[in-house]
Amino acid sequence: MTDGGPVPAAPDDWQRLDPRMLLVHPVRETVRFLPVLLGLLVAGTASGARGWQLLGVLVPVALGLLRYLTTSYRISGGRVELRRGLLERHVLSTPVDRVRTVDLTAPPVHRLLGLVTVRVGTGTASTSEDEQLDLDGLPVERARRLREELLRASPAAGTGTATDGYDGAPDAGARPPVLTFDPAWARFAPLTSTGVVITAGLLGGGAQLLDALGGLRRLDASSWADRAAGVPVLLAGAGALLALAVSTSVLAVGGYLVANWGFTLGHHDRSWHLRRGLLTTRETSLDDARLAGVTLGEPLGLRATGGGRLAAIVTGLGDGQESSSVLVPPAPRPVVEATARAVLGAAGPVDVPLRRHGPAATRRRWTRALGPALLVAAACLALATRSTWWLLPALAAPLVAGALAADRARSLGHALSEGYVVSRSGSLYRRRDVLSVGAVIGWNVRATWFQRRAGLVTLVATTAGGRQSVAVLDVPVADAVALAARATPDLVEPFLYDRPATGRSAQWPTSTPSSRT
Amino acid sequence: MTALLRAPRHRVSPRARLMWQVAALVEGAVAIGVLLLVDLAVDQVDLPWWGVVAAVAAVLAWVAVVPQWRYAVHRWEVTETAVHTQSGWWAQEQRIAPLSRIQTVDRAEGAVARVFGLATVTVTTASAAGALEIDGLDRARAQDLVAELTLKADAVEGDAT
Repeated sequence: MTDGGPVPAAPDDWQRLDPRMLLVHPVRETVRFLPVLLGLLVAGTASGARGWQLLGVLVPVALGLLRYLTTSYRISGGRVELRRGLLERHVLSTPVDRVRTVDLTAPPVHRLLGLVTVRVGTGTASTSEDEQLDLDGLPVERARRLREELLRASPAAGTGTATDGYDGAPDAGARPPVLTFDPAWARFAPLTSTGVVITAGLLGGGAQLLDALGGLRRLDASSWADRAAGVPVLLAGAGALLALAVSTSVLAVGGYLVANWGFTLGHHDRSWHLRRGLLTTRETSLDDARLAGVTLGEPLGLRATGGGRLAAIVTGLGDGQESSSVLVPPAPRPVVEATARAVLGAAGPVDVPLRRHGPAATRRRWTRALGPALLVAAACLALATRSTWWLLPALAAPLVAGALAADRARSLGHALSEGYVVSRSGSLYRRRDVLSVGAVIGWNVRATWFQRRAGLVTLVATTAGGRQSVAVLDVPVADAVALAARATPDLVEPFLYDRPATGRSAQWPTSTPSSRT
Repeated sequence: MTALLRAPRHRVSPRARLMWQVAALVEGAVAIGVLLLVDLAVDQVDLPWWGVVAAVAAVLAWVAVVPQWRYAVHRWEVTETAVHTQSGWWAQEQRIAPLSRIQTVDRAEGAVARVFGLATVTVTTASAAGALEIDGLDRARAQDLVAELTLKADAVEGDAT
């Protein structure tokens, strides 16, 4: 990379962005005006008039120059301010101590010139591009210094939600990163939902293309049979499926590598820093005090092949910043677990055996899965009189549902370990949520009539980050209350009573597991 | 440890029952009205007379049972450290939030609620999943509660996330 650019003498003054943006802006404007430019080119050639084509070059250049000249920023009086626009002036301003994240993004053109875009995140609910504090185009070194300045000024690291778990790993200068990317992990890419989405997209696109080319009807099976002379239909079908699987796998692996190439996760200056990207590089910092926990995701495909992924539960981020919370992309399970331990500063929440939810919860999983499946099976059986093929789904539905129920029941569990609430549930997308006790800002205890009969509740720990809550599904009442009371004794203990209720409806929850054995 | 969560201490206003009944009755009447309109306007739909009777019976049963059930469940309490609510009927829910994490306190009076002199107090925290709502409070009681909560939430420092 090149030098850090001119260091501003008086930081209180309005400063322009990097002059190298003069090269970036015209390229961008040209791309944006491409249809108009093409139109101009055609019109110019047709009318024989010269000069029109020149206009097509001059306008983007002039626009880029204007954009550069009218955009400036400053950090003064404890505020970050960004001023832009020629006709409609925008001045965006935010107090430095409200800054929660500073992300550095570098698209290919920026990287070529040694520039990055600095996005200053304040957790605003606004999603409008106009209201994002983007400093588009600073030299890399200056951007990094700016990030350090802004994050140091932010008070989040001092007070707030910090609890013991966060500071488990003391800083010792520049340490090796906790996680470095291994291209071999890309083998997990086809097994994630991204692969499925790509497949669906391909199928949808293909069908539309066929439709545009004259519809599926023209693809007469007999003509295919003629052409494929002798190749059994089943073999041809299998070949088509195989080709589809291979092509989607290649696409998924490609997407994975482009997004995650060079993924590194390290910790210094009281925050986690992660960097990734093959073409467009992204650098994100997560303040220790804003890291409330992690989610260890194990979709079925990853679980079956010994993989997993890790996301951070970050408080105070806006909705549009979900993606910045990825801590480990799909990777081998030991890597994911080791990273989780390092990030949490505790091994317990990752390794501790979970307390199971018992037979009532298992029964509930089975009834909830088998009920709809049996309905489907009955409907299919009714149709089986027309075609025996309907027998297939009629048999498959209960089997699939049974497998799902067994797996979902096996997944259920919770624990309280080293200051973290741990909850696991799900089958197709199994997840182990780990939430710091300090980040729990309330409890919801919910039970339907059926759950009350079975002596179960769904305990929800609410939090300001991630999906806003961590749910402990179908846990026996006594276990749920014990978990909440041990996690936040000051909050819950005033509302406890020891004796089980005797018949008074208001003393909910009245049902105990013993009432149904 | 076999401790359980006790219910919050205070019931909502007894007038809430009547308010819920009126609201349910109005909603049911509108639903049946729409049903009859569709029956009259669309030729393909031919509602048998017992269908209408069943719908009316369902609405009446709902009006008779659900508001009473709700009233038996709905409770609230504010201590020196926390807000505790209980609501629902078929699905019941208890919510606890510490005063230190309160972000806003909101008092609302709907059109029907105003007729009965009732109000709804909603306490929000930094979590989208954690809002506590007390429905059917006496208006004066609601005003006092809002003042009390605002005072107590003010006394705590930090940004409540």
